[in-house]
Amino acid sequence: MSTPRDLTRVAFSGLAARKMRTVLLLLGPMIGVAAIVAAVGLTDSAKGDLKAKVAELGTNLIEASAASAFGQSSPTLPIDAVERAATVTTVESVSSIRQLSNVVVTPYTEALEQFDTVPIPVLAADADLPRVLEVGLVSGRWLDDFDESSRARVAVIGQALAAEFSYLPGENRTVELAGFPYAVVGVLEKVPLEPGFDNAVFVPFAAVADDFLDEDPVEPNKLYVRCQTGTEDLTSEALSVAVGLGGPTQISSEVKSEALELAAESDRQLQLIVVSMGLLAIVVGGLGIANVMSISVIQRSAEIGIRRALGHTRRIIALQFLLEAIAVGVVGGILGVLLGMLAIFVGVSAAGWVFVMAGWLAPAGVALAVVISVLAGSYPAVRAARLEPLETLRLG
Amino acid sequence: MITPFLELRSVSRVYGSGDTEVRALDGVSLAVMPGDFVSIVGPSGSGKSTMLGLLGCLDAPSDGTIVVDGEDVSRVADASRTRVRGRSIGFVFQQFHLIPHLDALSNVETALLYRGIRPGERRERSLAALDRVGLAHRHDHRPVQLSGGEQQRVALARALVTEPKILLADEPTGALDSKNAANVMEILAGLRSSERAVVLVTHDVGIADSAARKISMLDGRIVSDEVLRP
Repeated sequence: MSTPRDLTRVAFSGLAARKMRTVLLLLGPMIGVAAIVAAVGLTDSAKGDLKAKVAELGTNLIEASAASAFGQSSPTLPIDAVERAATVTTVESVSSIRQLSNVVVTPYTEALEQFDTVPIPVLAADADLPRVLEVGLVSGRWLDDFDESSRARVAVIGQALAAEFSYLPGENRTVELAGFPYAVVGVLEKVPLEPGFDNAVFVPFAAVADDFLDEDPVEPNKLYVRCQTGTEDLTSEALSVAVGLGGPTQISSEVKSEALELAAESDRQLQLIVVSMGLLAIVVGGLGIANVMSISVIQRSAEIGIRRALGHTRRIIALQFLLEAIAVGVVGGILGVLLGMLAIFVGVSAAGWVFVMAGWLAPAGVALAVVISVLAGSYPAVRAARLEPLETLRLG
Repeated sequence: MITPFLELRSVSRVYGSGDTEVRALDGVSLAVMPGDFVSIVGPSGSGKSTMLGLLGCLDAPSDGTIVVDGEDVSRVADASRTRVRGRSIGFVFQQFHLIPHLDALSNVETALLYRGIRPGERRERSLAALDRVGLAHRHDHRPVQLSGGEQQRVALARALVTEPKILLADEPTGALDSKNAANVMEILAGLRSSERAVVLVTHDVGIADSAARKISMLDGRIVSDEVLRP
């Protein structure tokens, strides 16, 4: 049947004949959709690089800390915590650390005065830590089993600390930890999930026992656990039981990427406000369409009358006007999406973010514009259809 | 027996009710036969416009029966009347009523829309109709670029392009100078055939007298129905 094609032709010729009016009609849905697309896109893009990072780092890293133990000021985990954690079947790898306090770090003896007030974290770490965290070394090597067995005074430092200490790759450097000389053997890359490590000093457990703590062997107070992806919550629970069983220590587990994911969530409040404004713009635009088209129906009453006289039914007349509104919605919606994308692009370029635009945003924007214009166009369309040809043709 | 193209049987059209009741048409009977060239003449208020609305299926009677091209349209839904109108009747109006944003050809084509006719054929038939009124060369002109006489001839082409049985002309020369009026009347007269009846509604007795049959109206009734020439 050729009716839909004929209708489309008539609707578009009606719009093309009144270009200024058509442009004004387009503005409402266009600006509304552009505002919504830009609001959602920009707020998403603002956190886009964080989201990408989370995806890259993986979500399966769990941190299990000794939370509290009765009568202990600095709670620790059992000495065999790593072995206990490894018994959980969903665990893929485990590493342990012990965070120390009140260890003053200086790059060289003479610098003591400048550095004794700057708290630099010192941690005992085992040989598996970089593998579990999935980070590499900027230079040198990580602590190994020989360092432990030989009770060597060696240290690996974080990337930011290396920069602060002006440490050159491969340089033979001795730093002082609470007055003990430690040889720097490597520099650790940034750990996105554990930003504090960037500034930390890592030493073997055996050396900690010798120099800083009154215990041997040294008990860890934190585990880093990689589990099978998807089993994070399950593994967290199992770890509490496996590691804490039979001891006084409470275990608190945290999926490391969750905090980052939370931070990567868009600012919903701001997004809501701007989207509401966009919706308001679309509704006002819709009212504009209803208004302008109602006037247009009056202006075109003679045309409607003659079409009716020529045998066009009320339904055809209504569809013709509705189709004009739909065309305005489709074109306005598409232009709005393009304008919104341009706004996102400009904003993202200015702020140095990653361009993020949800796949549903473009079709949803156009659909919204079409829905609004159909709603707005139905009243004038019905009015046009109700016109009596006898009244509009002014017969002599 | 030849069936009339148009038939009115005791048709009345009443506007309002009670004290304000107006009987614009009061029990009128009339038959328009194939080949007729009828003028309906009368002063304003005589009911000739009401008659035109009823003959053209633009209005429904309050009472009586109207048969158009074999179909009773007295008490049918608007959609059916619209269908009969589109199939059997062509209109020409005093004010031409061309669609201003369409060129002459598109105006003529408008009459052929929604009939399942291919665009190519539609264009061909429309050009042929324009040619018949001598305006094929101005098919791409918009109404504002045409003179009154030319606009009325485009309107004639639009009325003809559907090959209607009945051509209804409402004061077709009312807005034209005498030269153009004569031209339009000449075309109208040439359009009557055994397949078509031409009905002309006017208040101008001079125009009415150029038809083959003259129906005079007064106060909603037919006062005379005379054959002027065969």
